[in-house]
Amino acid sequence: MAATIPNDGMTAKGARPTKAAAAARMLSLNLPWGKFSAGLVGMLLLFGLYRWYTEATAFTHGMDYFSPDFRTYWMNLMFVQLIVIGVVGVASVSYLWKTRDRHMEALSPMDELRRYMFLIVQLMATTICAYIIFSLYAESDATWHQITVRDTDFTPTHVGLFYFGTPMTILFSAIHFMYARTRLPQFAARLSVPHAMIVAGPILIMPNVGFNEWGHTFFYAEELFAAPIHWGFVVLGWSFFAAGGLLVQMFSRMSELVRSMETAARPA
Amino acid sequence: MSAVTTNTPAQVADFRHRLDITVDWLVIPLVIMLFAAVFSVHFALLVGDWDYWIDWRDRRWWPLVTPLALSVIPGVFGYLLWDRLRLPVGGTLTILALSAAAWVSRYMNFHGFGGFPMDMVFPSTFIALGLILDTVLVLTRSWFWTGLIGGYLFGALIYPLNWPLLAAYHVPLELHGNMLTVADLMGFEYVRTAIPEYVRIIEHSTLRTFGGVVTPLTAVFAGFLTVLSYWFWVWIGSLVSRTTWLRKII
Repeated sequence: MAATIPNDGMTAKGARPTKAAAAARMLSLNLPWGKFSAGLVGMLLLFGLYRWYTEATAFTHGMDYFSPDFRTYWMNLMFVQLIVIGVVGVASVSYLWKTRDRHMEALSPMDELRRYMFLIVQLMATTICAYIIFSLYAESDATWHQITVRDTDFTPTHVGLFYFGTPMTILFSAIHFMYARTRLPQFAARLSVPHAMIVAGPILIMPNVGFNEWGHTFFYAEELFAAPIHWGFVVLGWSFFAAGGLLVQMFSRMSELVRSMETAARPA
Repeated sequence: MSAVTTNTPAQVADFRHRLDITVDWLVIPLVIMLFAAVFSVHFALLVGDWDYWIDWRDRRWWPLVTPLALSVIPGVFGYLLWDRLRLPVGGTLTILALSAAAWVSRYMNFHGFGGFPMDMVFPSTFIALGLILDTVLVLTRSWFWTGLIGGYLFGALIYPLNWPLLAAYHVPLELHGNMLTVADLMGFEYVRTAIPEYVRIIEHSTLRTFGGVVTPLTAVFAGFLTVLSYWFWVWIGSLVSRTTWLRKII
């Protein structure tokens, strides 16, 4: 566990270690906090670099979709990122399926708890990604549209928001969904409706992007952010309301697991 | 299992304590980021324009549509936090998350990326509204009374809460023979792609005033609507907090 929280066997700050506390170090989830931190830093660096690239080139090479510059700086980037995210997504989900646990009935409470912690870390990565996309990237698009007239479906902020950020959120969502389905007994045996909802929301953003662009080129040329044409995104954002149900499902099971450990440790 | 049974109750208790702390360290930031993400996209695409620009914060639409959109997330997640965890922080925490995200975005996007001055694009303040909701919830322990009293105040107080921030921008001035506000002038000076449309939508009416009875009437109506909105979204919160499982997908 708390493998993560340094435990030197002290019972209280400054106190001498007791035998029981020292022995308790045996009970540890041994989570790879270094890898978690590296992943988080890597993700923030990726989004930070993307943002820097946007600021550096959007207004200099991204104003005209029909210019050669736009193809060089933005369309090529879009094609590359979509391919990379797609390949990584298929590979990750395939790997999780191929290496699925086929003997979950033999899973110890400690191992199951460890997997729940992995799921929490994956949910955290997804949430950070969602925050960056739903707030920073989405509102950079709001800013862009108030400065430049909407010209085509592909703009620098759209390339970042709809063809990088949203697919990244879908990628993370697909990974944590498949992780739960292949490694956690209660998620493998049944379908968690809240979990399915928070995965379906980001996925359905892509068809809604299609409707959004179709509508903007057809009947609504403006970019009022609060306009009804954008409300589909709001409803899909609401899918994250179900995170509450998912957390309750997870914590209930984690609590059961710890209780089973307490029961097993109790003297007969 | 065999490894577990060799442990003593003290070891398991110590393990549980450390596990709880670890989960807290992970889940609390996760939940706050979740609130910031969901609230940001929800607020931006329902009433974002009103909050982005100082000249959008009028007396008629802004105080009406804002509390309606703003009361949704405190209702949904407030239910989860109070009903499941007995934490009366749904209003304050969600609105704090929105406010923090809004400040970061306004500075990075509208000011840094777009070049608009911060005093044209700063976010409104709503944190006190969340505090009111949570306070009423703690005192009454009732969703009914929280919606009726807290929801009404939530809707009615948006304008007076922000008045100290907005007053300077509503000072009338004369420009080329026309009377307008300081906020209007800023809007005309920092041209955006659809300003005439914005002005037409906001100010479509028969009589334009700088104050008078328009705002109090709007506040009363907004309070009434927010009561209904809050009750409805608390009910939605009770639905999405359920632990629903399906045996079969198809």
